[in-house]
Amino acid sequence: MRAPNSLKQEFLKKWKSGLQICSSCSKNMSIFERKKAIKLSADVAMASARNGRTCWSRALIANASKNDNNKLLVEHILGNSEFQRLNKISIMRPTMSNKRVRCKKILKRSCGTIRRVSKRVVPQKILASCVAKRLSTKRTQVLKSLVPGGEFMDDVSLIEETLDYIMSLQTQIDVMRSLANATELVLRSKNEQW
Amino acid sequence: MEPDAGTRPRSITIQPSLDQNALDSLQLNEEIQHLMTVPPENANSFTALLELPAPQAMELLHHSPESNASAAPPYHFSGGANLTFPSNIALIERAARFSVFAAAAAADNNNNNSPETTGSVPSNSTGNPGKVKSEPAESDSNHDNPNSPQPSQNQKSMKRKEREKKAKAATKRSKNGANESSEDAEKLPYVHVRARRGQATDSHSLAERARREKINARMKLLQELVPGCSKISGTALVLDEIINHVQSLQHQVEFLSMRLAAVNPRIDVNLDSILAAESGSLMDYSSMVMPLMWPELQVSGNRQQFEQQWHHDAHPQPAWGREENNNFLTPENSLLSYDSSANSASLHSNHLKMEL
Repeated sequence: MRAPNSLKQEFLKKWKSGLQICSSCSKNMSIFERKKAIKLSADVAMASARNGRTCWSRALIANASKNDNNKLLVEHILGNSEFQRLNKISIMRPTMSNKRVRCKKILKRSCGTIRRVSKRVVPQKILASCVAKRLSTKRTQVLKSLVPGGEFMDDVSLIEETLDYIMSLQTQIDVMRSLANATELVLRSKNEQW
Repeated sequence: MEPDAGTRPRSITIQPSLDQNALDSLQLNEEIQHLMTVPPENANSFTALLELPAPQAMELLHHSPESNASAAPPYHFSGGANLTFPSNIALIERAARFSVFAAAAAADNNNNNSPETTGSVPSNSTGNPGKVKSEPAESDSNHDNPNSPQPSQNQKSMKRKEREKKAKAATKRSKNGANESSEDAEKLPYVHVRARRGQATDSHSLAERARREKINARMKLLQELVPGCSKISGTALVLDEIINHVQSLQHQVEFLSMRLAAVNPRIDVNLDSILAAESGSLMDYSSMVMPLMWPELQVSGNRQQFEQQWHHDAHPQPAWGREENNNFLTPENSLLSYDSSANSASLHSNHLKMEL
């Protein structure tokens, strides 16, 4: 399903301002540096289009602003006040959810021990469920590494974040692709004139 | 439910194939919406979004997204501390579609009319019909995980009542019982879980089961989003697909930014000029651009994904481009500032050589 146009436009607006900053920054960059700058500004613009409501966007911005070079860019795209607010929120958030996750783990572990003592179940069932659980935990770990800020989330919010992240990635790709197509087309038509 | 059919003619225009089921689902969704108005502050707004469902979604489908995004806030922006999702129209539309389908599947099960009006998870259902109606329960349980031992007694008493009513197996009587428990659901922000026949009913497994069903519901949404996932059964395989999809999307972003870097000698993107110039030549995009792109595709690993994407490109592009033109009106002469001769990227020159 295609993302709504309002989101696309917001992303485009923020990305444009970010790119303008980039161009004013340095005149001679290699292609890789340019690519990194473009990607960074696109990512930050996408994350800021979420207005700090999702965990992955906050984590992405936090990671981006860790690097001092990028901090200025991030600040510009976000707007100063939002940047400060996000700084405060993103510092708090991971620690809070970390605690929650740890408490849940302790609770689960204690529940598990109780249940193991009381019940007597056929071993095959346990085996199958163990295998399944191991598979899914391995994959959840991979997913956590993919989604920015995923390591701090529990399963439920991880899935929600993935959902939102996938949607925004698709929006980002749509916008970038159309821009790239447009640019190349214009370039080609220009060169054909000469 | 029948008399309400006349008051909702809109649904018929949108989902003609699901007439009766759509009407039923609309009715049920309206009732749930009333339920949800009580604890909107407690609700996880994502689930509130899913509950938002068909009536709101119908409006959204008709009117412009912006005006409705502003109209929708009371359901979404519940306090800064919660994990709130933006009023994402795509999610709402998808949820609406999903709720219609879910209710359509539910309508096939005979005794599932009543539980859908409560916050309880219906008993003999697959994950699907349970999903829409269990949202209030899930939203409440989000806040009540630390309190799970407390409401367990309430749960047990609720369950006993519900189990008795279930045993009678009369839909009317169970409807009344469900109405009672629905009122309780409004007052108490507790998880109402109906115990299935032969399942353990202690609080731990209840909480565990509620959590599992929550996760399953979310996974179903994800399955819808990721192409080709709906046929797969089994969490591990679905997760595999999701991981692949996210990885391919991230690779695409990298690839596209490389493309843009190659095309633009400096990063000053004269977007306005490009888009203004674009207005004329949007139609012959796909035919001209596609053969150009094939050699570059070898850079990325995920070939099939790209092929699909290119084909999809043709359709959304024109609509989006036209919309952009309304915002960016610039003179043609700004194009001249676009400097193509100064660039040194070899990739770019390969581009042009391909053309000639």
